[in-house]
Formats: sequence, structure tokens, C-alpha cells
Amino acid sequence: MTFEKVQEIIASNLDIEPERIQATSRFKEDLDMDSIELMEVVMACEEEFGVEFPIENADGILTVEDAVSLIDQLTK
Amino acid sequence: MRIAIDTLGADLGSERIAQGAIQALSRSEKMEIVLIGDESILSPLVTEKNRARVSIVHTTEKIETTDKPVMAIRRKKEASMVKGYQLLKEGTCDALVCCGNTGALLAGGLFLSGRIKGIERPALTPVIPTKKGPKIMLDAGANVDCKAKFLLQFAQMGKIYSERVFGTKQAKVGLLNIGVEPGKGSQLYNEAYDLLKEKLDGFTGNIEARDVLDGDYDVLVADGFAGNILLKSVEGAASTLFSMLKQALTSSPVTKLAAAVLRKPLRGIRDQFDYHEVGGAPLLGIQHAVIKAHGSSDETAIMNAALFAEKFVQSGVIEGIQALNTEEE
Repeated sequence: MTFEKVQEIIASNLDIEPERIQATSRFKEDLDMDSIELMEVVMACEEEFGVEFPIENADGILTVEDAVSLIDQLTK
Repeated sequence: MRIAIDTLGADLGSERIAQGAIQALSRSEKMEIVLIGDESILSPLVTEKNRARVSIVHTTEKIETTDKPVMAIRRKKEASMVKGYQLLKEGTCDALVCCGNTGALLAGGLFLSGRIKGIERPALTPVIPTKKGPKIMLDAGANVDCKAKFLLQFAQMGKIYSERVFGTKQAKVGLLNIGVEPGKGSQLYNEAYDLLKEKLDGFTGNIEARDVLDGDYDVLVADGFAGNILLKSVEGAASTLFSMLKQALTSSPVTKLAAAVLRKPLRGIRDQFDYHEVGGAPLLGIQHAVIKAHGSSDETAIMNAALFAEKFVQSGVIEGIQALNTEEE
């Protein structure tokens, strides 16, 4: 469930098909995202899930799986 | 037309900012003002005369100059600037005028308002006074590291802004560079030159810094690093020159006499460099109208910033930039 929502958020932000986004997709290398695009996704996720990512910037989140795991931890 | 005014974060204090905004109401029949700030300070400024056109959104939290921009807009949800962006997103206000932390305002533009689809980076777009009148320059510091495509988009957005707000017919666009000949400058600037030449009607070529104040362009494009250096160099040089001129003109009875004769024309020149008269710098490329006013803005500067925000919204610049992406598709 979390993964699907995150997938949707990323797809919407990047204007790509959701199917292109896998759990193992790396934000920079596979999805070609820069730091601003990554922060946009982080903030969209924070709003969607009602959480605050405990990071100063988004560089610590390398893959889609990382984001999903963090959200699941924060929403427990 | 509702203009939100962030009254916190300015050097001169909330009350003076609010008073400036209220002064704008006498110059515009349709404007309404939303003052964001401490209600205990702002409420006394709402009178029978302006009550129908002034409302207050209360907060005492502000983003400090020392706050890290992205963290500040993420964590200070009650900060006046963040509340301003919320009003824009809700559609409660048509524009936001803000004097505070520029980095946070830019971060807010990116992450709270959001980029217009297809725009890689928004650009801060101040006015430069020149011999041929005010001209616009972007980017003035929002994007220190740029790609050539960003500069092309700055040029496209700047053109739309110049034509719709300043009434320029077929705006001419120049690229700030270290020489006028093609092939000058860094790899970025070479790539930008080729891209502008290929894709932008009205591109006139490179412009050296020493020619900027001649004003033989309508839009001057640069990356944020060079743009910011240029802007502050012009401001600093103008300020120093006027200070030296004043010192020279008041140095003896004879020069004082000359100063009295020259007062009006000199004041006219000085006013061209006075940010109080300009209004503010829009952040082009985001979904909403956001105007950055100078941190030390007084009542006159804020009044002009609010009037400028109204004009900016009415001009349809944002719609014009949105249409860029549609054209390219």
C-alpha cells in the first residue's frame, strides 16, 4: 500500500508511467532525479502520509525502498 | 484581487510593512490586503475606512535569516511565509509579497507552490536600472549551478515577463558573458549561446558587464552566481558613487551652490537606482505570484510591491509561462 502510493507520487512528479518505478529503483541512477526533484517527492510524501522525515536533506534516501521503509517506520 | 503581505521578517518591523500595504489600497480600487503577522500589532491598523478590504492571518512565528531554508519551510508550519504560501495554494490570495529570508522564499516557491510543468528551475527576476530605462535580469541568485537548458528557460520566461508587464514589443534578450563574440565564456555559456541562438526569437548575443547599464536589451540572462554578483556590484557601485558625489558636492560653499542647482536632476538619477520605487522581484517559473521585496523595505517600498504584485497577476505572466510547455509539446 505504501509502495503504491509512493510510486504514484513519484510518477506524478516526474510525469512518467508508474510501472517504470520499482522498489529497487535508485532515485539518481535509475530515475535520473536531481536533488530538487527528490526533495519534491519527500515533501509530497510527508504531506500524503502525515509524517516528517528526520533528515536535513533528501540525500540519505537512495532508493524507492528506502523511502517506503522510512514511511512505514514513521507511521507505526 | 487579494494580495497577501508577509509582515514578519522585514528589518523595519511589522507595523510599517502593514502601513505600506494599506497605503496601496488608496491607489487601487480592487485590491484587498491580507496581512500575515501578529494580530496584536496589526489589528489597530484596521479602521472603519479600510475594514472591508483588510484582513489578518495571525501568527508570530517567522523564518529567521539564520534558518536553513528547506528545513525552515518544512518544519515551521506556522511561519508567516509558510502561511502565505498556504493562502496561495488554497486560492485565498492571488499573490504573496515577502521581505524575509530569500532562500526560504525560493524553497517555498519550489516545494510549497511548485514549479510550473516543464520548468526546470524558477528564477529570481529583479529590475536593473539602465540608461534606457529599467530592464530585467534573471537569474539573480536562485540557481547558482545551472545547465544550458535552464538559461534558455530563463530567457523564455524573462521575455514573457518583459512583454506582458513592461509592455515591451518583441523583447530583446542578451546573455551576460565575458566577451561579446560567440565562443566566449565557459562551456555552460557556450552551450547556452548556441541554444539561445537556435531556439529563441529576439536573442541578440552576448553582453559584457560593462555594457549592462547601457540597456541595449530588454532581458539579460545569466546563471544565478554571475547574476547575483552583477546585481550586487551595480547596487554597491551606485551607492558608493552617490555617496562620493554627495561628499564632493557638500565640501565647500561653491560646491554646495552647484549642488542646489543640480539637486533635481541628480535626485532623478538617484531615484532610478532606488529599490523603494521598483516594487519587487518576482520568482518566475512557479505556480503562483510571489514577489520578493527588499529586506529593508519601508512603507513606500511595500506599497509599490503590493501594486506591482497586482499588476503582475493581471498581466498573465504565469499563464504565459504555462503555455510554453504546451507549445513545446
